[in-house]
Amino acid sequence: MTSSQVVQRPEAPAAAPAAPGRSTPKRASRRTLTPRVRRRRWLGLAFAAPGLLFYGFVVIVPILQSLNYSFYRWDGVTNATWVGLNNYISFFTDPALLESLGHVLVLVVFFALLPIVLGLLSAALLGRGKLRGGGVYRWLLFLPQVLTSVVVAVIWKRIYGPDGPLNEALRAVGLGDLAKNWLGDFNWALPALGVIGTWTALGLCMVLFVAGVAAIPTELYEAARIDGAGPIREFFSITLPSLRGQVAVALTLTVTGALRAFDLVWITTQGGPGTSTTTPALILYRKAFLNPDVGMAAAIGIVLAIVCLGVALVITRLSEEKDA
Amino acid sequence: MKKRHLAGALALTAGLALGLTACAPGGSSAAGSSHAVSKDVSGKPVTLKILDFWQGEEGKWMDSVVKDFEKQHPNITIKRTTQDWGQVMNTLNLRLADPNGPDIALVNNGWQSMGTLAKGGRILNLDAYSDLYGWKKEIPDTIARQLEFTPDGKQMGTGSLYATPAARSSLIGLYYNKEILDKLGLPVPKTLADFEKDAAAVKAAGITPIAYGSQDKGSATSILFATQDLYASSTNIGDFVYSSGKVPITDTGIVDAAKDVKKWADDGWFTPNYPGVQYADAQSEFLGGKAAFRFEYTGSLGFSDAQKQTMGYVQLPQVQGGKVVGTGSTAANLSISAKSKHPDAAAAFLNFMASKTAAQQAVDHGFLPLLHSGLSTPSGNPELATEIAAQQALDKGNGYVPYFDWSTPSMIDTIGGQLQQLYAGQVTPDQLAAAGQKDYDAFQAQRKQG
Repeated sequence: MTSSQVVQRPEAPAAAPAAPGRSTPKRASRRTLTPRVRRRRWLGLAFAAPGLLFYGFVVIVPILQSLNYSFYRWDGVTNATWVGLNNYISFFTDPALLESLGHVLVLVVFFALLPIVLGLLSAALLGRGKLRGGGVYRWLLFLPQVLTSVVVAVIWKRIYGPDGPLNEALRAVGLGDLAKNWLGDFNWALPALGVIGTWTALGLCMVLFVAGVAAIPTELYEAARIDGAGPIREFFSITLPSLRGQVAVALTLTVTGALRAFDLVWITTQGGPGTSTTTPALILYRKAFLNPDVGMAAAIGIVLAIVCLGVALVITRLSEEKDA
Repeated sequence: MKKRHLAGALALTAGLALGLTACAPGGSSAAGSSHAVSKDVSGKPVTLKILDFWQGEEGKWMDSVVKDFEKQHPNITIKRTTQDWGQVMNTLNLRLADPNGPDIALVNNGWQSMGTLAKGGRILNLDAYSDLYGWKKEIPDTIARQLEFTPDGKQMGTGSLYATPAARSSLIGLYYNKEILDKLGLPVPKTLADFEKDAAAVKAAGITPIAYGSQDKGSATSILFATQDLYASSTNIGDFVYSSGKVPITDTGIVDAAKDVKKWADDGWFTPNYPGVQYADAQSEFLGGKAAFRFEYTGSLGFSDAQKQTMGYVQLPQVQGGKVVGTGSTAANLSISAKSKHPDAAAAFLNFMASKTAAQQAVDHGFLPLLHSGLSTPSGNPELATEIAAQQALDKGNGYVPYFDWSTPSMIDTIGGQLQQLYAGQVTPDQLAAAGQKDYDAFQAQRKQG
């Protein structure tokens, strides 16, 4: 056994370079390696087992439980009644939930699109050449990402207050007419919330992009300059295409962030005024904890999870397709 | 090979999902408490765990009650766990399922909390203890009704007792700042008309009449609920909340109240920029002497010694007939966990929390008592004296009505949101009422389904 192992070992890496050829070598390697590889694989699985078990217990099992709950009408205490797909049907027919989905679309603009555009801009500015104190800018812009969302929400609640710094500043420069109850105004509450999200996500996007820009070979820029490209042409021809991977990551994180938006909304407006800032996650929380309708809450959670997964898949697929 | 793994994982997932979906979630339904009950709790040492939301001055009151109880029952030790109200309410259903959870918990009234717990058998049916201690005889009907459910959880306000009151009450009414009124030569209002006259005069003098903010949906409603009590009969409001199904929301005074409140808003009587003002900020505005009035729950404004000299409270009488009707209940309801190993000791504590000693402790800490009269009020707290006078007026006509938001689990959010829309001119008082009725009907329909 030992001897065969010693003989066998070099064969595995040997198979790797042949991989591009695909069909025939693969078949051959499988025939000779199967028993041992399989044993080794089981051994690897055994090592991973504690971690997998833990993951299964805290992630997979709750997901399956939620899936199960979503088919019932249940107050969380007494016996549940099977309702089939009713919870899912009411998700797409309930006006309150549909309205909240509309709000999410607005939030996607503020949580994802704006930070990415601004992040690209700042990366283009910070990444090009040495900027004096560039580190300080990066540090300042990344700060919101480090703060707990509750702290962020409380700070902004103050900023948006009737006599808060924002209104004071507007009045100070003679724009007092623009001062308003940002979070209490039916038209302005949602955009005001969105700006908080932009502020928070900007740092993350920028740091991602700046790191990406640093990895672009300078020869490319030099070549472009020799060809007579200006900064704008340089950005669109070199910087942006090279950052595709980073943009995909940022987009995935921020779009799912918008879909999940809860903490900011709960602390600043509780979905008000009226229902002008409700999000599906907010309705989920209410259904799960405040007026227990656990089945409906689980259904909302499952739908959100599927949408998040779909968004992530589409984004990675799109960004990879162009690479290939 | 990768594909095969994926297929395997999918099959496993599907299998697990099927296995799980096969079993419906949910616990045991109402378990009857058939064990023998006893008043005798002496003997072996017992530790009772209590989950409550009393912090600050209220926490000190609770500590003093616990201390008195432990003195009376040296073998019983009380262990308090205190969290804020939302924390307790959002986790209560799960905590009471835990055998090592609290023996006694503060439970909220209404369908979503007490009703669900009673139906699910997570809190004890207290009828046996009630007979033993004579609770139903001592607790006035209007208060006892707030703590009753049928064991199947189908009806509220009738049936078995599932909680007992603490000897402290909580009302909604009108607070005033006497210093401001005196300065302007205005009387303390005795009627709604008086109040409006005063408020107009305060406004004319350049002072904010009513400290109020509607940014926080839930707490924005107290002004509406307080005003509503001035228009409808206590029977109608009670029947609506307890879901008799005979009273429409339009008979609960909510339309008249919404008209009044909207008028006050439009006349500029509220704190400037009130749609963006938070609950706590409106409170501190009133406490800071910057506004003349505030509609508020008793016990939630923490008066300093100086403020106790200048503030006062009044329960305005109804517009028609002058009867005093007001929203009021116990400051908290205590229930015993069905999982508690020491229900007798827990019942002894519940009895103590409703006792005259506990009521006296409440008064000593500056809170409104409940259930007991003839308490010695501390001198030097004229503010509390006005609250007690108001409460006596309510007692006299038995004018207590339950909190309007117990009617459905989502009522406070619905009305809070509608109120914000009313101020913004997006809905009329009638539409606000219609939205409340819709919420109510939807919940009743859901309740009928089981």
